[in-house]
Amino acid sequence: MLESVIPKIKDWPINLIAKKRDKILQETISETVLEFNKSFSNLTAVRNQLQKTLYLEHIRLRSEPWEVDPEDEREFWNSVKRRLLEADPSQMDEDISKERHQEILQDIVYRYTNEIIGDFKPYIFWLTRQILVRFFARLLNAHFGGFKGLFNPGEKLKDKLIVAGPVDKLRDLATKGTVILVPTHFSNMDSIIIGFGMDYIGMPAFQYGAGLNLFNSKFFSFFMGKLGAYKLDRRKKNGVYLETLKSFSKTNILAGAHTIFFPGGTRSRAGNIEDELKLGLLGTVMAAQRIHYEKNPSNLAPKIFIVPLTISYHFVLEASSLIEEHLKRTGKEQYLSQEKGTTAGKGIGKFFWETFSKSTDITLSLGEPMDVFGNTLDSDGNSLDKFGNAVAIRNYFTNKGQLKEDTQREMIYTQMLGDKIIEQFFKNNVVYASHVVAFVAFELLKKKLDYPDLFTLLRTSDEDREIEWDTFKIAVKHVIDELYILNNKSKIKLAPHMTTKELEEIIELGINNVCIYHTNLPILRNKAGNITSEDLKVLYFYHNRMLGYGLEKRI
Amino acid sequence: MGLKNAYNKAPVAVIGAGSFGTVVANLLAENGEVLLYSRRPEAVELINKERVNNGQKLHPNITATNDMQEVAARCYLLFPSVSSDSFRALMRSMSQYLAPDHMMIHCTKGFDIQLEPGKTILDKDVVLLPSDIYTMSKVILEETCVKRVGCMSGPNLAREIADQHPAATVIASKFDEVIKEGEAAIRSKRLQVYSNHDIYAVELAGVLKNSMALAAGALGGLGYGQNAMAFLITRGIGEIIRLATAMGADKQAFLGLAGIGDLVATCTSPLSRNYTVGARLAKGETLEHILATSSEIAEGIKTVSISKKLADSTGTKTPIIQVIYKVLFEGLKAEQALSYLMEYRWGYDADYI
Repeated sequence: MLESVIPKIKDWPINLIAKKRDKILQETISETVLEFNKSFSNLTAVRNQLQKTLYLEHIRLRSEPWEVDPEDEREFWNSVKRRLLEADPSQMDEDISKERHQEILQDIVYRYTNEIIGDFKPYIFWLTRQILVRFFARLLNAHFGGFKGLFNPGEKLKDKLIVAGPVDKLRDLATKGTVILVPTHFSNMDSIIIGFGMDYIGMPAFQYGAGLNLFNSKFFSFFMGKLGAYKLDRRKKNGVYLETLKSFSKTNILAGAHTIFFPGGTRSRAGNIEDELKLGLLGTVMAAQRIHYEKNPSNLAPKIFIVPLTISYHFVLEASSLIEEHLKRTGKEQYLSQEKGTTAGKGIGKFFWETFSKSTDITLSLGEPMDVFGNTLDSDGNSLDKFGNAVAIRNYFTNKGQLKEDTQREMIYTQMLGDKIIEQFFKNNVVYASHVVAFVAFELLKKKLDYPDLFTLLRTSDEDREIEWDTFKIAVKHVIDELYILNNKSKIKLAPHMTTKELEEIIELGINNVCIYHTNLPILRNKAGNITSEDLKVLYFYHNRMLGYGLEKRI
Repeated sequence: MGLKNAYNKAPVAVIGAGSFGTVVANLLAENGEVLLYSRRPEAVELINKERVNNGQKLHPNITATNDMQEVAARCYLLFPSVSSDSFRALMRSMSQYLAPDHMMIHCTKGFDIQLEPGKTILDKDVVLLPSDIYTMSKVILEETCVKRVGCMSGPNLAREIADQHPAATVIASKFDEVIKEGEAAIRSKRLQVYSNHDIYAVELAGVLKNSMALAAGALGGLGYGQNAMAFLITRGIGEIIRLATAMGADKQAFLGLAGIGDLVATCTSPLSRNYTVGARLAKGETLEHILATSSEIAEGIKTVSISKKLADSTGTKTPIIQVIYKVLFEGLKAEQALSYLMEYRWGYDADYI
């Protein structure tokens, strides 16, 4: 493990911010109310929005109640309903009605903010780290044997959880500004693994948003908040909640909280690398950078750094449920979910066991850190253009020398930032043998069967799924050749085993690794030595990871 | 940036003193001070002394300059107007002077491609994918720190605007403020300005129509009339839309001024450079001879070769582009090209909407 950039946990930004909980709470509330009133400037609009919020919350309470919901939830919304009825502007003086509406808004925002905000605790963080390190050490020992690993788990761990890319620069930047880590998202394990990986390279803890559903379990709930998680409730899609979430994010970033955003919004259902991002929260990063410059008239305002991260696994814990959801969503009536072919995962424990006890690994591939406009940075956090000239990014927010908010402008800047992040996701994707074999097998089947649509293909009977070994081997070779070309052009990265092993070894490693975790094997060699699949959907999921590089043309 | 703020109203710059650059400078000059940049010092001297450039009289508000640093330091809003062949190099050389508060609205209807050393676009083994092709706004974004980028495109034949005829143009940018600044700078009694947020589609419309202008010139050169021209224009917009869609653009902009508007103007006017090349080809001149005797570059020749490669790599149906390519580079006679198109099974009309 690398030495921590900031040695004492109590000095970490996340802890300093946790100590200012009430201030963050108050700032989030006033910011939300301010922004809300900017968007809805008259009483009718405010009332409409509050009524809409109430309506949506009632539906949520009825159709999707969760364990984690507070006991007085129904009571609270009933009181909002009563108060809205009482504040009817047709029944009272308009100014008083306005005031009442603002009070209701404040109360809703207060409730939301209280729910969202995390509760970082240094000693819990320290304790969890000790437990995790020992847990991983035990897993490693199971494989490598002996006592050595127990005393020096870091040595073996670095082969299992690889943090690749500009680690030193990231460490430098951690004390020069606010780091926003934007990873690809395939699995619920991502937060834990990234959190561990970042701790491993000595980064102070990041704040991250975790789905409120994960807090349904009291055990998880206790740890998550104290490790830096704040809560996101995806059921709540009303304007007030989304505005609160954005203000919370903005307030924390302005306060200097290193933050993890999954810019894809949710896990990638299809298994592909995200090529479309949710820009709402990313927009708060842009706004926060502008506000820093508004508050600090010089170019020396605090800076925000964006660091994309592509995660590579051989296998994904939730592969079959994710692809199932994706196919249901995209296929609609064309897709009939079948009992056969959907394989349940083996559980979280098994996931870690398989990852750390077998010859498999996880790579966290860091992209080049950039400012919010996508410019590269030197190790002091200064922005540079592609020729190495300094760029005074403050002036991206000015027009004829005047710095002021322009939401349309910032929206476009955010889109541009999104494009840069996607570009980095693809460039820093580390290709594993398992990705290649899944891609090639599925593409060959698609070509061989030549069905008009995906859903027919996924229903192909077992006997039609066979691909001749030689055909498969040649296609893998062609794809690897193309990957070398892309790698030379810095458009993709290759795991070390892709360059050091022979073709047949790569294939074997790939097949074994995709299959470690799944009960129905997505890809296997049958008795005749040919390639086939017991689960085409999961094969399709893993295949999708290699989309976006034009590799299809080499099949 | 101090220089810019020292002026109550910063001048607007035009980069490139070719015929269209001069037209743009004269339009801008009606609303304020203009710096016209030329890379040739002797041209600058001549312009400032004679007050004439490319046969156009210059507005008194225009000052020519050879000093790129001065241009960048004094102006917020820049209108680059140079050929697509020299655009990237120009941006590279300017980039050290440019700052995040600059806005650029380019007027170049051409593509930029980056081939491996030693390769040319005509090589059989060169495959072009949509991602290999850069519009000028993408070149600006790639080569400079400027983000606020726009383009000006539409039926704007340089000669007609120079002769003070009325016209309309489109300023496209994702940024409202770029559209607003651009419009304020260039709108006048003789130039109506429309806006569009879809800059990529507007750029593609402006470039892809160049191929059709060559074909129109060939039809004119062969002496055919308006029926044939209407046939070309409507089928031409179909090919343009199909190709643009394959490149990932939306269709809407193609039905506006920058799309069908520009296509009609460029196909029906013998004034355009592309049209002239087409007409000379139809009359039997070879491409080499035409190139050797032309003073300014017709973007259409490059556009045809890029469009053809792109149609091949994306599997897009583009019969007109395919035959113009053959006429330009493979010695097919214009008459043969036309008879091929007359025999081609087109199928359903208006299948591109």
